[in-house]
Amino acid sequence: MKPLKIILASTLMILAINGTAAAGGLFGPPQPVSKEAGGLHTAIGYWHHQDEYKNGAEHVTRQNQVYSQLGYGAKNWEVYGRIGISDLKISDAFASTQASTTTSKNDFEDNWKFYGTLGAKGFYPFNKTFGIGAFMQGSYSFNDFRDDFSGTQAGASFSSQLRVKNLWDVNLGIGFQVTVPYGIKLYLGPYAYYSEARLSLAAIIPGLNSNTGNLRIHNETNVGGFTGIYVPLSRGFHLNVEGQYSARFSAGAAITYSY
Amino acid sequence: MDLFGHMSLQEEITNLFPMNLTSSGNNYGEGMQIMKRLSFWVWLFFFLTGGCAHRPDPVPSLSSSLASFQPRQFMVASNSEQIALVLPETLARSGNGSGDDEGNLNRVPEERMATTADPLESFQSSPEPPEKAGSEKTESKGDLQDEKEAGEEKEVTIADPLEPFNRAMFQFNDKLYFWALKPVVRGYNEVIPEPARISVQNFFINLAFPIRFVSRLLQADFSGAAAEFGRFVVNTIWGVGGLFDPSSSRQLNIPKGDADLGQTLGVYGLGQGFYLVWPILGPSSARDSAGLVGNYFLYPVSYIPPLYASFGVRAYEEVNNTSLRIGDYESLKEAAIDPYVALRDAYAQYRQKKIEARKGKSEPPKPGGVR
Repeated sequence: MKPLKIILASTLMILAINGTAAAGGLFGPPQPVSKEAGGLHTAIGYWHHQDEYKNGAEHVTRQNQVYSQLGYGAKNWEVYGRIGISDLKISDAFASTQASTTTSKNDFEDNWKFYGTLGAKGFYPFNKTFGIGAFMQGSYSFNDFRDDFSGTQAGASFSSQLRVKNLWDVNLGIGFQVTVPYGIKLYLGPYAYYSEARLSLAAIIPGLNSNTGNLRIHNETNVGGFTGIYVPLSRGFHLNVEGQYSARFSAGAAITYSY
Repeated sequence: MDLFGHMSLQEEITNLFPMNLTSSGNNYGEGMQIMKRLSFWVWLFFFLTGGCAHRPDPVPSLSSSLASFQPRQFMVASNSEQIALVLPETLARSGNGSGDDEGNLNRVPEERMATTADPLESFQSSPEPPEKAGSEKTESKGDLQDEKEAGEEKEVTIADPLEPFNRAMFQFNDKLYFWALKPVVRGYNEVIPEPARISVQNFFINLAFPIRFVSRLLQADFSGAAAEFGRFVVNTIWGVGGLFDPSSSRQLNIPKGDADLGQTLGVYGLGQGFYLVWPILGPSSARDSAGLVGNYFLYPVSYIPPLYASFGVRAYEEVNNTSLRIGDYESLKEAAIDPYVALRDAYAQYRQKKIEARKGKSEPPKPGGVR
């Protein structure tokens, strides 16, 4: 348990110092994916994430993430990291609240930017069938998302750019697991999370929600639930499918391989 | 076996040569043992020198090279004596194999096992070991005939009209190794742990996938091409961009190959031509040098702009590869009477064997962890 404590403490410190906590993507089954004797595992995954942010007005965000994961663990613990790319869409980011201001589009959209995830989990089996685990996972987007837009304000045309900076989130949760025949694992549990980003508008334009120049937005709901299934495939591969629900429903899948 | 499923050099050699080569030759003279050692090191060096010009695979695997190992003789021109190399399967047949022999034999392709020659036969001046004679009685005539035929096709020579130039280049490469590469590699070894260096090696091997894949296709080896493609996909996705090699795991067990365009030309029937030692790149032949050009264009590193960045990456790749086999070249130099000749003949035979193996191949690569 001592190594686990050290790893967890180290992960917490890293996340606290850099503000790059974990999130984004599957939590996975409470039981470590790595082999019991200890070893590496890798995975690729896809995650469709939806959330609601507020900064006065509510915005729905959507992200499609594709990532590659590398982890190391043993029977009761596991740490992992992910590198992936993600797009971002924020609904009504350019919507105007004043009739004198019109914009060419309402939604913010930007394509693939790199992000990283760190995670750690611990697992306690009650018996061969049931077990409980806890995890922590956080993500940080390394690149700013940007989108240009144009419009008119009091008859004068303008063009500007909105940047979404420092998008990050952190998740903490507890999972309950049951192992059914064929080694299939079903799991569910609650989780808490926090996510925020900064919006930066190149020019202050009256009537826009993001008109303050530098605005912090964060998620509206801080708790949710998740459930998933972990299915052994052949030759050491496993399929993991999971869904999460807080303000919105998110889902994804990953294929893992344990060394 | 390390964390990445790779065997260390020592483990590989121990597995492939479960017996001490010299221990079975108690009745032979000391000179015979020395020559056998020399032949072993010549081959060992050749397999380990990833910088050889003929290798499209930037970091050839020792095990994959050894997997194509066959009983052979080759000339050491310095004394014009035929050297026979004892192989594990021969030893196993003679009852001297260790308990691990079966596993090792499984590594050898079937056609090679069928044509296993008794390399000691060629050493006419030596008395025959008693246990060896006993084991031969149990062999069928067909086996003996196969061995004889296999023995007849052992000698492979390559013309060396440019020997003065080649020797100069050999010396150049030798000095380059001792004066430049080795000091850098030593420092690199101190800083980078071995698992990380193996992962870097895996990465570059994976990156050279187009060379192997295209070569397999051009050789009409479609099952081999499929295996290469499978390895590339699995190692890229679940091997974190090729840093790890899950394809070689016991569960997946996708056979590893090292086809190249020079080999492809050989399969088409083109002879080796003459021997050529390239500065920096190492041993090659006229045919394999032509293959090198194609290999260059199929290797993604060649397209890294600007040009010096591409060369820098290749230099780093070579430093990393050398770091995993440092000391082997020194051993060769100590053991060989004329390293240049030994390396030349070893090169010619090795390439010829690879081509013959490819020509005679009628079935997909055998699974079984050929690494």
